[in-house]
Amino acid sequence: MGLVFSHRFCHIRSVFAHTLNGSLIVSYSVTLFIQCIVDAIYPEVGEAMVRLFSKLGVAMAYPEDQTCCGQPAFNSGFRIEAKKAARRFIEIFESAETIVCPSGSCVNMVRNHYPELFKNEPPWQDRAHRVAAKTFEFSEFLVDVLKRKDVGASFDGKVTYHESCHLLRGIGVSRQPRTLIANVKNIEFIEMPDADRCCGFGGAFSVKYADISTAILSDKIQSIEATGADVVVGCDMGCLMNIQGMLSKKGSSVRVMHLAELLAR
Amino acid sequence: MKHIATEDYKTQAKTAVRNRVLQGALAGLQERLGKGTALAYQNLPEGPDLRYKAHDIRMHAIHNLDILLKQLTEKIRQRGGHVFFAESGPAAAAYCLNVARKHDVKLVVKGKSMVTEEIRLNNALINDGIEVYETDLGEYIIQLAGENPSHILAPAIHKTREDIGRLFTEKLNIPYTDDPPTLTQAARKALREKFFAADMGISGCNIACAETGHITVVSNEGNIRMASTLPKIHMVFMGMERIVDSLEDHNILLRMLCRGASAQKLATYVSNIAGPALDDHMDGPEEFHLVILDNGRSKILADKDFREMLCCVRCGACLNVCPVYRKIGGHAYGFAYSGPVGAVVTPLLIGINRARHLCQGEPLCGACRDICPINIDLPRMLLELRWKLANGDSAWQVHRENNLEKMTHQLWSMIIQNRKIYDVTLSAARFLQKLFPRQDKMISRMPPPLNGWTDSRHMKPLAQTPFSKKWKQRQSSKKQ
Amino acid sequence: MNASHQNIFLTKLEAALSDVPGALRNTRFSASDAKNDGDIETLDRIRQRTKKERLALLDRMAAESREINLNVLPVTDVDAAGIRIQQLVKEKQPEQGTEKHVVAWQHSLVKSLNLKNRFKEISVPIYFTEFSNPEEKTDLKERILHAFMGITSADFCIADSATMVLKTHPGQARSVSLAPPIHVAVISLEQILADLTELYALLRKDLTHDSAGLTRCMTFITGPSKTADIEATMVYGVHGPREVYIYVITG
Repeated sequence: MGLVFSHRFCHIRSVFAHTLNGSLIVSYSVTLFIQCIVDAIYPEVGEAMVRLFSKLGVAMAYPEDQTCCGQPAFNSGFRIEAKKAARRFIEIFESAETIVCPSGSCVNMVRNHYPELFKNEPPWQDRAHRVAAKTFEFSEFLVDVLKRKDVGASFDGKVTYHESCHLLRGIGVSRQPRTLIANVKNIEFIEMPDADRCCGFGGAFSVKYADISTAILSDKIQSIEATGADVVVGCDMGCLMNIQGMLSKKGSSVRVMHLAELLAR
Repeated sequence: MKHIATEDYKTQAKTAVRNRVLQGALAGLQERLGKGTALAYQNLPEGPDLRYKAHDIRMHAIHNLDILLKQLTEKIRQRGGHVFFAESGPAAAAYCLNVARKHDVKLVVKGKSMVTEEIRLNNALINDGIEVYETDLGEYIIQLAGENPSHILAPAIHKTREDIGRLFTEKLNIPYTDDPPTLTQAARKALREKFFAADMGISGCNIACAETGHITVVSNEGNIRMASTLPKIHMVFMGMERIVDSLEDHNILLRMLCRGASAQKLATYVSNIAGPALDDHMDGPEEFHLVILDNGRSKILADKDFREMLCCVRCGACLNVCPVYRKIGGHAYGFAYSGPVGAVVTPLLIGINRARHLCQGEPLCGACRDICPINIDLPRMLLELRWKLANGDSAWQVHRENNLEKMTHQLWSMIIQNRKIYDVTLSAARFLQKLFPRQDKMISRMPPPLNGWTDSRHMKPLAQTPFSKKWKQRQSSKKQ
Repeated sequence: MNASHQNIFLTKLEAALSDVPGALRNTRFSASDAKNDGDIETLDRIRQRTKKERLALLDRMAAESREINLNVLPVTDVDAAGIRIQQLVKEKQPEQGTEKHVVAWQHSLVKSLNLKNRFKEISVPIYFTEFSNPEEKTDLKERILHAFMGITSADFCIADSATMVLKTHPGQARSVSLAPPIHVAVISLEQILADLTELYALLRKDLTHDSAGLTRCMTFITGPSKTADIEATMVYGVHGPREVYIYVITG
């Protein structure tokens, strides 16, 4: 098997070889639920997650049919349409053992809103509950399921952390990402004032009520800049896309980074 | 001063976010009160989980509302008080006017009461030739200025001391000053005269207790004590839902209310009033009237999804943490109730279509639910309201707000149900986005309806190769 | 006519709640004093409190009072209290003009301070709010509204929040603790409770054993009146008193 592969695929070879040679035992098996924003706009976040899981010996499956969990439709009140996405999600993922997603808001949708969507359809609600029970947000999976607080990452630079609303208040995840960041070697972490205040994204809200969204975001940017950090880390690309958008327009050198990207370095 | 201006939400919001004075005032308010309240819950002897108990207490009261109100009424009547059940705002105002006319009332002093703002009671009295004075300092200021309140607890938060100084010079004929203690003294002096001369005092009710049959009103200034002690008649306006069952429940709710409202253990004054004064009492009202108001609340009560909203005690804590309120202030909500509570209650009271911006114009961050002393799930109800707007609802007489949006989502739902179609759509989008101008690899301008984004932000373009494709490439190269 | 408003109103509510299961349709209040085991324990704890424990509560109340601009002042006996109050009356000035008079509750503890004589020494009239005919009542009302100090006792004090609890009784006018810019209260150490829970246990006892119950108006007073309505700047002395003094007789 250690045959000649072209340079393009050498990283895949290394994963494959590691598994085969037994130098890294497969510690877990997960099914990837890649958020639509990550899939289409920030594939590097998904790739970072794959790199990290490979390093940690986590085997991955990726159902290629997946599209969207339905959250944007649900938040705008379009429940009939959101249900279609939800049913599809359940059908695709319910046979998986453990589902991991790099987005707190998507996990919030599955965990807290799927059962509500199907409140008048007990069979679907049961299936929704069962899928929800095995769906985890990325940092939640690493710390609470894989029991890894330190993944051997290192980063030279100043970093601050934005607590996404649905991650924090929807599924109660805050300790986990902070623990993982704290254990990154060489990192200089600076707490943002009002880290847990909304960034103003809110999905369609950011466009439909753009003036308000912009005003809220401006405050968040001010908080970020007050830290002097080079990078703002988060667990939700919706928020980070919003934050990056204003930083870029301002010509700021501050970058956004998903936690997976930070940990996969 | 429009009574209902919910349709102006967007334009008002736009003006508000540019108002530096307002921005500073709102930020200061939230820093002090929002954070103070969270700390106050931590310091509760029972711990912050008392909020869940408060929720149980209030839901229990709502589930037994008819029984509790009956008990309250009987007890008050036993003591010689009067109780009137007002189905609507006009009915409540008419009752008040009847009593006023009967007693030849010329001057009324009022404590702050959201319910009386909701039903425009002041207007009804003034139109009948009765002088009405708001006595809460903030309410007094905006009454003099002819404006609407912008916050439940701090109605004049949007005004600077200089604004108030000029206002008092004009309306109270005092030499100009912008020193808050001096201005407060001026208001005290002016209002003392009114308290002493008033024929009737009007207040709201924060929480009534069925077991004892008393109503409780709180204030820090002492104006409600004045209004309920000196004039011959005291009339209380109570939203029908503002009641708890037992004294034990009252203990908990009173403490939660004060912490939610202003991060205090207790407000300076808590008046627990059971009826008119006795004959051998030195002071206190000779006549006591309680007006219990429906005005649309029974419809909320009948709806299982929205019944929870009746648990609210209007403390204002949600305003003190809401990122939207922080930027747009109270006026943008266009009705008596602003902030997250306004976003849910206003559509339910005045019409969901009419108040559609209120229940759609927030990111659903959930901070309100977490700070509510009664743990009311406001985001859940906002989502329910959005569902009604998207789909229409006959019970609440909601028509579908936006057919184009519905069709867009229907199209979207078809696309996401088939990965191939989804991929084609993404490819088309990747092509189309080349038309948009770029700056530093970011899209700098997008056409309507997406221009709201690019007015203030760049947009990361769709990646050339989505993750799904990269994964497929990886898998197929593994197989080689 | 009113009855029909009520019937229509309450019937509507009952109908709105028709989906609520029977088990949730019950009320907790009842006039039974055996209802609360917790109450018996609480009432015992209050009764069996030692002087040392009571003094600890006083310390707690004093600590609480500092944050809210309230003066909690321990004194050994009624004479000491009377002297301190006389001193206060001497020092303090009225809001406007120079005329000073004081109004006070007709209350045994207040009476025991011998204020009439003490104030006579410094030429300040004191009026007790008890009347036997309508003219007296009207006169007294005027006095209260223009007094520069009001002196009361209290039914209880709550250490946890430095709160005074004042019920309404004949001879104990409500406006004495409200209208004058200075409010002085005199209580005894035994009247201090730990927290609202203890107060409510006593109130429940009152409901069953005292025909007046909570009385027509029971007021909780926590410090002087205040507002932050102008640019969020705290100002003391709005419509209620600007200064509050609680003298606690420790004995």
